[in-house]
This record gives sequence, C-alpha cells and structure tokens, in this order.
Amino acid sequence: MLDIIVGGAILGALFSLIALGLNLQYGVTRILNVAHGEFVMLGAYMTYLFSSLILGLNPFVSLLISTLLVSITGLLVQIAIFRRIVNISQSSGELEFRSLLASFGLVFVIQNVVRLTFGATHIGVPYLYETVTLLGEKFQLNMIISAVISVVICLILYFILRFTRTGQAMRAAVEEPVGAQLVGIDIGRVHALSFSLGALLSAIAGSLLVMIYTNITPYIGPEYTFIALAVIVLGGVGNYVGCMAGGFLIGYITYALFKWEPLLRLVVVYIVLIIVLVIKPRGLFGR
Amino acid sequence: MFNIKVRPIELVPSILIVVVLALAPFLLSEYYLSILRMVLLWLALSISWHFFSGLTRYVSLGSAAFFGLGLYMTAKYLEQSARGNLIPLPLPLVILLACLVNFVIALIIGLTTLRIRGIYFAILTFGIAVIANMAVQWWEIRITGTRGTYLPIFDAKTVYYSVLLAALAVLLVTTMLRRSRFGLALRMIGESEDTAVHVGVDASKYKILGFAISAMLISLMGGSFSIRFSYVEPTSAFSPDYSLLPAIMTMLGGTGSAYGPVLGAVVLSLLQEYLRVAFAHHFLIILGVLLVLIVLFMPDGILGLLRGRGTILRRKGWAEL
Repeated sequence: MLDIIVGGAILGALFSLIALGLNLQYGVTRILNVAHGEFVMLGAYMTYLFSSLILGLNPFVSLLISTLLVSITGLLVQIAIFRRIVNISQSSGELEFRSLLASFGLVFVIQNVVRLTFGATHIGVPYLYETVTLLGEKFQLNMIISAVISVVICLILYFILRFTRTGQAMRAAVEEPVGAQLVGIDIGRVHALSFSLGALLSAIAGSLLVMIYTNITPYIGPEYTFIALAVIVLGGVGNYVGCMAGGFLIGYITYALFKWEPLLRLVVVYIVLIIVLVIKPRGLFGR
Repeated sequence: MFNIKVRPIELVPSILIVVVLALAPFLLSEYYLSILRMVLLWLALSISWHFFSGLTRYVSLGSAAFFGLGLYMTAKYLEQSARGNLIPLPLPLVILLACLVNFVIALIIGLTTLRIRGIYFAILTFGIAVIANMAVQWWEIRITGTRGTYLPIFDAKTVYYSVLLAALAVLLVTTMLRRSRFGLALRMIGESEDTAVHVGVDASKYKILGFAISAMLISLMGGSFSIRFSYVEPTSAFSPDYSLLPAIMTMLGGTGSAYGPVLGAVVLSLLQEYLRVAFAHHFLIILGVLLVLIVLFMPDGILGLLRGRGTILRRKGWAEL
C-alpha cells in the first residue's frame, strides 16, 4: 500500500510535467496540439541520438541539447503552421477544429520520420537504474531523480508564470486574450513563446522517460497525449494548480492499476474523466 | 415529417449510378472492385459522420468505437453461430442486430456526453473509442481467453454487395433525415444552439437522437465490412483511422454541403490508395503533410475552392450547391 504513495507520486510528477506543456500551449493559444506526445517522443529520441548513437554524451547533457532542439522545432511549427491557422480562422470553433486536424497531420509526419530514421525497435538509454528501497518497496534511482527534476521544473515554471513580466503576459493571454492585446502585450510573441515552452517541457519529459524505460518506440506519443489531455480536462484549462493535482491523480490511478490490472488503465482514466466532466463540465478546479 | 418533393427526372442520375454500381462486380477485376468497395466504405462513413458532426458542429472523434463494435459484434456472432453456440441467423439480420445494440449504446453515451461542448466533446469521444478498444481486449484476454475472432469466408462479390447495400442505406437515411425537420433542427443547433433552444427546438433530444443515428449508421458500415476479413482483432477493428479519416475527408471536401463528404471521401481514399502503392514507406508522411497543407491553403475544402470568385460553379450560378 505504501509503495503506491511513492510510485504514484513518481508517475504523477512526470505526467504533470507533460500535461503542463500542453496546458500552456492550449491555454494561451487555444490550439489543441494532439502531436504533443510526439514532441515527448522526439525528446526521447534526441537524447538517445546524442548518448547512444553518436558522441556518447552523458544523458543529462543530451537532455539539454535535446530540449534546445525540440523547443526550436516547436517554435518553427508554431510559426509555419499554427500562426497561419490563427490568421485564417474566423471563429474559435474553426480555429480549434483546424488546428486539431493540422496537428493530427503532424502526428503522422513526426512518427514516421522518426520511424524511418531510427527504426521501430525498442530503444532506451538506461542510466542510474540501480534500485533503492523506499517505504519497503524497490524503486529505480532514475525514477526518483526524474520525479524530483519534474517537480523542480514545474516549480520553476510556476515562478516564471507568477513573477516575471513574460509569465504575467502569458497568464493575461489565458484569461483575457483581447484585453491582453489592448494593454500592449505582443500576442504573437506570447503565442510563439508558450508553444516552444510547451515543446521544451515535453522534451525534458521525453529525455527522462528514455533513461527510465527501455521500450521507447516511435509510437509512444499518443498515450502521453491521452494522459496529458485527461490531466488538463480534470484540472481545468489554464489552471496551474489544477494541472498539478490532475497529474498526480492520474499518476496514482495509473500506478494502482499497473499493480492490479494494467490492461484497464486507460479505460479507468477515461471513465474518471467522463464522470468528472458530467458533474463539473469545467474540470475539478474550473471556475 | 418527410415531406420531400422530388421531380422524377431528378432521380434519373441517382438510379443510373446505382445501376452501374450494382453491375460493377461483373465489369471490374477483383482489384478494382476492392478499390470501389473501399471508396464506398469511406464515403458512407464520411456521410454518417457529417450527418451529425457536420450539421451540429459537435466534432465527434469516436466513430472508431461504433465502427469497431459493429464490426466486432457481427464477426463474433458469425464465429459463434458457425461453431454452433448461437442460432444461425441470416447475415443482414445479424448486422441489423449489431446496429440496434450500437444505437442503444450511443443513446446512453449521448445522454452523458452531449452536455459538453467544443474541444472537450472531441476529446471525450476520442476517449470512447479507446475505451471500447481496451474493453474488448480486456474481455478477450481475461474473460474468454481468446485472441481475435475467426470468420467464415465470403467471396468478393458478397462482400462488395454487402458494403454497397449498407452504403446506399446510409445515403438514403441521411438524405431523407437531412431534408426533414430533423435535419433542419440539427443544422440550427450547429448555427447557434442558443437560438435553436430559444425558438423552441428541443436541442438535447435532437442532438442525442442525431448522435445515435449517426453512430448506428457507422456501425452498419462496420458490420457490413466485417465479412471482408477471415480474422479480426480489436486493434485493427478499432483503428483510430476510422475516427479520424471521416472527419478529415469531410473537411477536405467541405463541411457546408452534403456533397462535401462525398467529394472528400472519393478524393482522399483514392489518393491514399495511390500513395500506399507508390510510396509504401513514405505514405503516412505524405498524408500528414497533405493534411497540414489542406488546413493551411484549402480551409473550406474542395467545395470552398470551387465556390471561390470566378470559378466554374460561381459562373454557372451553382455556388449554393
């Protein structure tokens, strides 16, 4: 029972990190990027590239390079595709539908480019995988380190959003897109920034995942997108605290089901989601 | 309710098309017949999707749930009756039974999810397809201990006629409903749900019924297509393609008119087949790039492009097609 407390928290921290990126993107730009999980996967493969295939760098150094490359990719995608969609769409419904379709296109492209480049076999960059005992259960050291890193990054993001001018501009864009422009916030810059920041967070998560698991394939993306969507819907769009709470809730559910019935984990996540949405259509912490 | 005025002369092209389609197995080789069958399948799926999501603008990404359930229920019944566990029934009856079950399931899902709007609805319906897939897998592994379903073999002509008849039924039902008060109500919900409620349209009733009918037609296609396989397993029956492609095809054709999904389905399914054969490895990349390009440069679909200023449709006064 005690191990669920630790195990669930470890998963929860990673899920929160992944969901936070998507939440930032969707909250600020109203673009639902269903290719979010593909950016996680891309981050994992970049770390694999620099640590196992070429250079042989320490995985944490690769993590930094991977993060940089993936966030630049995210920025380019935003400028080349999503900014144009914002410009040609007349209503928010049109914008949401079109960006949904375009990002499904991105899913196909990223998945298959990675598959053609790296192959479809399982990969991993096992690092710090010795076990430590916590509350009577053995955990891999890298899982604990990843969880700590995830929490630290979530906290850093919280302080950026809360106290820096850029962060305040982003929150303003979430709350009042029109008002934010009226008070002189360059909304285009904020969109680009939040999008690459979202990609950055997913790349960190992906790089951590590739150190923990050895069964990373080009097709892991959609599952993480599902989880991130579930977390966001539970916590409420643009809601930082809700997102963290939702992440840990889903983390606990998933971990408990891993022990009890792994096949049903997504089913239970979605059933919880449906129940919450039916009772509180704006999410657990939505206003 | 169905007070549709059609001049007999207007029916001539439709009847001709149906006659040609009915004769196709005697005219085409097996390969081209399978392509025609595939076009018909996607066309019917896109039309069923458009009937609810295109009209009401509640974007459902859960078609795969109903397609898969229709397909799987039919397959399972055929397997079990071939083994003598269930009473053998004629194929159409089995498919209709599966449709009925799906109608009821969709009613229940509609009751719970149709209060939710916009992107949340899309996410939830996508989740329903995942749940259906996982639940069937779980059932097979944990309860029955089997993997997949084996079907009796049907010849290519039977499969083709089964898909053709189902597709015609879909066309007929959606056309009649779309032109009735029912269709008007759905369209009005899409234009402005608040206004619709204000003028006395029972929006939730029409939404739930519309969703269930659309789901039932999708499962009809799933059931009629099931006999193409000799073996099915959940991952292929519930493939996300069945959720995404009808939406993409409708979008490609244009959402504003019933011709949109038809046009989009024909173009994209043929293009897909061509790319699959010509560029086997890069096919999905090309498809993804195309999808992005369509959204960027043809946001109103092929019909929107044709309707633009100075084009043939506009010059001939057919812009409202």
